[in-house]
Amino acid sequence: MTLDDLISLPQYSLPQAQKESALLAELIRLSDRHVERSAEYARLTKVLFSGRSQPKSLSELPYLPVGLFKEHLLSSVSQSDVFKILESSGTTGQRPSRIVLDRETAQLQTLALSRIMTSALGPNRLPMLLIDSADLIRDRRQFNARAAGLLGMSNFGRNHVYALDHDLEPILPEVKNFLSRFGHAPFLIFGFTFLVWSRFYKQLENAGLDLSNGILIHSGGWKKLQDQAVSAADFRAALGNAMGLKRIYNFYGMVEQVGSIFLEGDDGYLYPPNFADVIIRDPNTLEEVPQGQPGVIEVLSALPRSYPGHCLLTEDLGVVHAVDSSSCGRLGKAFSVVGRIPAAELRGCSDVIAAKVS
Amino acid sequence: MQLKVLLPEERSIELEELPDLVAASAAIEPFDESIVNVAIELSRRIFQDEEARKYPELLALAYWMRKTEIVRLAAQFRSLQLEDRVLVPRGLIFHLPPRNVDTIFVYSWLLAALTGNRSIIRLSPQRSGSTSILLRLLRETLATAVEPARTGTIIVSYGHEEEPTALLSAMCDARVIWGGDQTVEIIRRSPIGPSAREITFPDRYSLSVIKTDAYLGLSEKQRESLAHQFFNDAFWFDQMACSSPRLVVWCGTDSEARTASTDFFSRVAGRAEHQHYFLPPAVSMQKLVFTCSAIITSPVEECQRYKDLTVMKLTSLTGFSRNHPGGGLFFNARLDTLLDLASFISRKDQTLTWFGFAPAELHALVRRLNGRAIDRIVPIGRALQFHRFWDGYDLLQEFCRCVHVDSAPVGGISSVSEV
Repeated sequence: MTLDDLISLPQYSLPQAQKESALLAELIRLSDRHVERSAEYARLTKVLFSGRSQPKSLSELPYLPVGLFKEHLLSSVSQSDVFKILESSGTTGQRPSRIVLDRETAQLQTLALSRIMTSALGPNRLPMLLIDSADLIRDRRQFNARAAGLLGMSNFGRNHVYALDHDLEPILPEVKNFLSRFGHAPFLIFGFTFLVWSRFYKQLENAGLDLSNGILIHSGGWKKLQDQAVSAADFRAALGNAMGLKRIYNFYGMVEQVGSIFLEGDDGYLYPPNFADVIIRDPNTLEEVPQGQPGVIEVLSALPRSYPGHCLLTEDLGVVHAVDSSSCGRLGKAFSVVGRIPAAELRGCSDVIAAKVS
Repeated sequence: MQLKVLLPEERSIELEELPDLVAASAAIEPFDESIVNVAIELSRRIFQDEEARKYPELLALAYWMRKTEIVRLAAQFRSLQLEDRVLVPRGLIFHLPPRNVDTIFVYSWLLAALTGNRSIIRLSPQRSGSTSILLRLLRETLATAVEPARTGTIIVSYGHEEEPTALLSAMCDARVIWGGDQTVEIIRRSPIGPSAREITFPDRYSLSVIKTDAYLGLSEKQRESLAHQFFNDAFWFDQMACSSPRLVVWCGTDSEARTASTDFFSRVAGRAEHQHYFLPPAVSMQKLVFTCSAIITSPVEECQRYKDLTVMKLTSLTGFSRNHPGGGLFFNARLDTLLDLASFISRKDQTLTWFGFAPAELHALVRRLNGRAIDRIVPIGRALQFHRFWDGYDLLQEFCRCVHVDSAPVGGISSVSEV
């Protein structure tokens, strides 16, 4: 099975064992390719994974910590083949990740994302309501991962309407107008989880909006909502009760592996597409943990050909709940993201006064 | 603005009240009985406190200030005073201890107090469990102490505000800044008075040297014990104390060094596991990123990863970077002889912990370095043991002014009237 097959076959249709063997062959080829083309990757795998013979399972493949892309620009293509360098939005004070894309990888990402989205949305572009401000993509100086996400997702809709103004306040007339034109048939809503909750739902929960034909796709992490003690279930229930939204899909993804996102199934678990997978590892030993046990999420994807980011250890914690046994008909691993690895500070002689002020 | 007073008793005060509070404390003669008794009593209370006994670094502190040690310190102080030289307290010492090595504020305060100084200590509003314990025990000890020791110490707590730091800096006779380069830089924005002096503890780096054949000559039991000592040096403060080793240099042949270091680090890893050393997952991840980064930028030949320990073997120490994430990561290198180390040492290097060398070899290294760096050379196992000699200072002396007394009459003139 080739990468093309993995992308073009119906998503979530492969039993885990079959998928793993196809993905393993593809990822070994990819590792070899990066060893040949990236001196840094070649050194890293030699020094860190030297004792390892030919990997026999996905968990034996060499992986890199995602934070490394904040410190080094790792590339497997020549300068002239660089099509775009993606940057993560990153929190203040932190260096962003920088990801080198060539045309081939960028095209694979677009294709892969569309395969995942059409599995949830169907083949036709739907009218699209974006829970964000149009200014975000107009202002090129502030063009960041959020803007890139909005643009990327825009491809899956038509008749786009932005629901928030410059100050992220809802523009109720625009929303009502959109609903009167398109609300009677399926339409797409996209936004970042926190904005959907705080700037859309919280402001308009009593506005009598009918979103019952809407399909909400949202992403961006739960951290801010967890701080407000809003769980995924609360989120679903609230939007369902106040606005009639029934089809809600969260997805997990990152700028370091654009295209291979993990979309929620109808059972609320996240599912890897055919060309990607997850492995949960113990944060200290880095060994794979048994199903049901939380650990650090490693994401694997056959898409990154221009940079050695095909096996990445993230800074998120997750759990695999089931394999090939979901209630929504999807094969492969069903997992959830528990949250970020909690920040920790070591003791030491350096005072934090300095760290905070500077 | 308001700030919190933590000692003598807990209360909030306005910034304007601070000068009066500080002025109210008394100065003491060096090693006055009242202050000596405070030290001994605090030591006793730490040893007896059930909570405090859970922290090895608190026990180390208590051991360091037990009676025998204080008596020895007093004798050392007396020997600093000669006929023409009297050591007197500087006056008010303003201590800015690091937030994260909990015991430092007590060491810093104690040496200042024993030499007769009044102290004002700034603690961060975020305090660890062991700092709170120390604070409680110190409060109890001082409450039962007699004058003049009783009122010589004040502890305040505030955040990143500049005003109290500026005020106290202008008032003090000496300022002690722990906490690294950035802290020193920031605190220095507040000037001290023209006659005040400053003692700074910037970022430092520490390393170990082991003579290969001496190590290979050890018995099983001795090797275990050395690994245990090394573990304590490195892991008590998650390898983040300035004096904790981060680089281990083996002196000997290549093949011997390989055998010895493999044996040694697997024992240290075993020790970490045995002691149930816990590394927060976030730090474990930072460590992995650091490891990868080091492999890209440094001549790392091998990387051995144990559960809580990462050991990276360097083929050369040329251009060695002192960056470090802490949490059990060691660079490992080999040289032919101890003197070969001299060319790789930089100003930042503080403590050299050693095993297997003769005193003459250690002295020869110090002479070769000739003041360029390295302020402490102590055996493996004593990296964290506080001493009046620290970072190139003799703190007993630093906290005092030296009054020159020439009591010999000039040219036969005598003011003492003969009867």
